[in-house]
Amino acid sequence: MKDKKFKLSANLINEYRSFIFLALILIIGLFVERFYSAYNISAATGNGTLVIWLGLGFTVCMIAGHMDLTIMYMSTLGALLTLGLHAQQGLPWGVAILIATLVGVLVGLINGLLVTQLKLPAFIATLGMQFVLKGTMYIYTGGEELSIGRDYDFSDFLNSNPIPFIPFSAYFLIATVAIIIVMIIFNYTRFGRNIYMIGGNLETAWLAGIKSNFVTVMAFVISAASCALGGALNGIYSGTAGITMGEKGISPLMIAFTATIIGGTATTGGKGSVVYTWVSLIAIALLKSIFKKTEMQVLVIAAILIICIVYETLAMYNRNKTVGTRPNLHNEYLKEHGKN
Amino acid sequence: MSEVNNKPKTNTAKVDTRKEEISKFSLIFNKLGIYVVVVLLIIIGMIVSKGSFFTASNIQSILEAVALIGMVASGLTFVTYSGNWVDMAIPLTMAAGGMLTVQTINLGFIPALLIGIATGALIGLTSGFMIGKFRANAIIWTWGFNLLLSGVIRFVWGGKQLYADQVANDSEYAQHAANTFFSISRTYIGKYISLMAIVMILMMVAAWFIHTKTKFGQELKIVGTNYEVAKYSGINCTKVMIIVYVINGITASTAGIFFSALRKTSSYENGTGYDFSCLTAVLLGGCLMDGGKGSVVGTFGGVIAYGILNNILSWIGLGTYEKYLVQGVVFLFIVWLNTYSNRKLGKA
Repeated sequence: MKDKKFKLSANLINEYRSFIFLALILIIGLFVERFYSAYNISAATGNGTLVIWLGLGFTVCMIAGHMDLTIMYMSTLGALLTLGLHAQQGLPWGVAILIATLVGVLVGLINGLLVTQLKLPAFIATLGMQFVLKGTMYIYTGGEELSIGRDYDFSDFLNSNPIPFIPFSAYFLIATVAIIIVMIIFNYTRFGRNIYMIGGNLETAWLAGIKSNFVTVMAFVISAASCALGGALNGIYSGTAGITMGEKGISPLMIAFTATIIGGTATTGGKGSVVYTWVSLIAIALLKSIFKKTEMQVLVIAAILIICIVYETLAMYNRNKTVGTRPNLHNEYLKEHGKN
Repeated sequence: MSEVNNKPKTNTAKVDTRKEEISKFSLIFNKLGIYVVVVLLIIIGMIVSKGSFFTASNIQSILEAVALIGMVASGLTFVTYSGNWVDMAIPLTMAAGGMLTVQTINLGFIPALLIGIATGALIGLTSGFMIGKFRANAIIWTWGFNLLLSGVIRFVWGGKQLYADQVANDSEYAQHAANTFFSISRTYIGKYISLMAIVMILMMVAAWFIHTKTKFGQELKIVGTNYEVAKYSGINCTKVMIIVYVINGITASTAGIFFSALRKTSSYENGTGYDFSCLTAVLLGGCLMDGGKGSVVGTFGGVIAYGILNNILSWIGLGTYEKYLVQGVVFLFIVWLNTYSNRKLGKA
């Protein structure tokens, strides 16, 4: 009985802590003026949607056991491409978004090939790719900000609340649908299980007959494509796109990283879910409407991130203490010395 | 019989030579290849700049641009060497060093300097303790710690910039300290060699001494090569890791102080981008990312090569932003060469 209780609470902290975080934010929200108004919730989640796309990409890569740092500049590049193609070449929105997404697929392919074929560590490879993308963007725009011009129809649709009585913008709902699709792929298809396997142990997965290189590349492609798509929609949603889109205040990359850690995705890979990341991202978006000052937001988010990292580290440290010993003897020793 | 006796000897000799043949390129690249690159870059620079590469002002600008990166890289070498890739908290360590020095400038110049350096040491101590004692994932911890430091500094100073002459009170002592603080990045010894470059070279020499001549350096060699082996052969790995990160913190905060003196302001975004450029320099110098390989001499070459490369890009006429593209491609190429040559050596 005691064991069962312990397991429940451990699961609560390990897996469902994003829900605890969200509940905490909602409770604090009770004491904040106009927090529960439809406008506030719609605007807060809408402004936080870009990071949902980034978090989706980051979590997918982290489950596969890698880190993808290009996501932020990938989304900015997607936004710039979409607005630029629409304004300068006169392409309709659908084609422009499609081209931006295809560029995302290309970048993801390059990332994946760098990691699988040239055997670079993903963190280092994407750190370099970040600067390649940044340079490309400056060459494309010349450092200027792009805007959507006079074509407001699609932008208005993304900003509106399509389902009556539910205060979520269309942009947020599209991101949610994407999260659900990825969740279904990850939980119910062979490809999804393969990603979990290569994240857990790459060699074992390879020996078991999984095409590990293909699956790794696909993880990077999903990540980059979703970021490009999200960035493209974000450019239309907010009406403008600049190269420094993400660099004001707290960097979206850091928020995606924080949400992935809070969501309980293992930093070594093989464990986690995009849904938990989604929940913690909503919580962070709402948190931003509680604390209006940027400095306070950064401090609170950083404190939560550090608490999660320290907790995970200490848990791993305690678990590694018993590795190689016989668990029953270890327990006996603990009982004798009354440390249970 | 004589044939049978002779065979094993020739065999062993053959195996040895073949090993050397395979790894000749990798060995040369790993040892001193970077200085070949430096010479090549100097030749390219002379061609591109049409002869004005060796003018005093150009060398001065290269040395100034390189000085800050060199300071940070001398400490970062230890982190990379210990097998922890990179310290992502470098930008905010630099910023924190600069902020605290400016804030305490009223105590006088030397005490403020020491407080700034002590801040860096404290940050390094925290990182080293978490990574050495509790075996935290180095990248994740330092990245998160960077965000926390950013949050604390932004919260305490309200996201503002600090100016040393405004912080200093009216007393002559404090004003003198503020002026000294501004002047450290603009002092020239002789005619063209700046104080920053000399400090950078002194720090490199100190790092070289610690790395090769002390007991700690020898222990670090084993820890970097194989952590488990080091642990079971009785080395205090926690202590080694803590010293590694303290050294890194001290060098980063020193560079941060010089940087804020150079910019005349001190803010939370002072060190942005230095983690990337310093890692490029360290990897250019032939440090192996998995640890246990590399030298401070190589890092010095890497820093010089990075500076000359940037200088050449300016001579060609690329702006700051086009440089990003080239830097990224160069970085990826260097990392690939690094992992490739070490795989051929059979070490990774």
